[in-house]
Amino acid sequence: MGRGQTHTRTILSAIFVLTCLAYIVHAQTNLSTAKGKAFVSYSAEPVIIAAGKQTIVPLRFHTLSGYHINSHTPRQDYLIATELTLQPASGIQIGKLDYPAGKPYSFAFDPQEKLDVYTGDFTVSARIIAPKGTYTLLGTLHYQACDNAACYPPKTLPIALPITAK
Amino acid sequence: MKRNIAVLGLIIVVIAALLWAGIHNGRQRKLAIEQQQQQQQAVLVAQSKTTAAAQQAEEDTMPDYRGKPAPGFTLTALDGKKISLADYKGKAVLVNFWATWCAPCKIEMPWLVEFDKKYSVQGLETVGIVGDVAPKDEIEKITQKLGVNYPVLLADRKVGSAYGVDGYPASFFIGRDGKVVEQISGLDTDNGKDVIEADIKKALASGGQ
Repeated sequence: MGRGQTHTRTILSAIFVLTCLAYIVHAQTNLSTAKGKAFVSYSAEPVIIAAGKQTIVPLRFHTLSGYHINSHTPRQDYLIATELTLQPASGIQIGKLDYPAGKPYSFAFDPQEKLDVYTGDFTVSARIIAPKGTYTLLGTLHYQACDNAACYPPKTLPIALPITAK
Repeated sequence: MKRNIAVLGLIIVVIAALLWAGIHNGRQRKLAIEQQQQQQQAVLVAQSKTTAAAQQAEEDTMPDYRGKPAPGFTLTALDGKKISLADYKGKAVLVNFWATWCAPCKIEMPWLVEFDKKYSVQGLETVGIVGDVAPKDEIEKITQKLGVNYPVLLADRKVGSAYGVDGYPASFFIGRDGKVVEQISGLDTDNGKDVIEADIKKALASGGQ
């Protein structure tokens, strides 16, 4: 095989790799602007925990300004509670989830009815035991949002929690 | 050999540049979205009198059906009967989308009951469409508690999107000619009842026969 052919193959390989990379970058940027209104966002903060020891890991969420979501324990049984679900992962023990207390809220048109809601920032804590290694714990936050005049269908926010156990 | 190293170096530089551009682009987009959200929040504060539902409609550009033929539907009522919009030909129709977990909906539904009684003699038909997947008995419990006297239909997958409904309550006032006269998204917290009554009157007066 001549040197010319080797160079051609190197350049072609480089073009292929670059094309793949460009596609991945493009796909990632498009994903970040996917259409669809989310009323709650999640801050995926990587956490480092002690391997084999139960650690309380905070999962931080933010409710869009002007909206509220029902707390984990709404006062009315017809309301949809906020619910965090973490998928079981091999070797990781997921213990009790601690939800924050809600804040009292009433719609202006019905001050008599007291609701229990989350607004702004709120944190749900998970008790986790993981053996040494790095993991990404997947889960969802199910919630139902309202503003001061309307309510919106329940949504499920996917979450990914990067964990390093040392 | 030197040429190979040069090509490899070039590839690394280009990859680094691509990655940087991707990350930078992503950050810029994120920043732009945050700025947009902040601007929207600023608007929310500045226009505190305006209902948030109206702002939601602006943000999501809810389709404006006014002047257009109301999307047709055939749905099953709580009592099992099939009801079509076409059944009400020649009448003014108020189509009200609601959900069992929607507190504002439960405020306005008794108003709709009142208006249905008041304007049915003039040719108003009121139809409720429940947009969530609650069990039928739970829906009936709510409608009975609120004294709902008009048909309540169970939404299918199409009707909500046909009307562009993304939040509850949402009401469409359809004239006698089958065209949408007015539409309301959310509950007007200041004078919602008056607005609904005014829109019912418009629908009754529209497309007269």
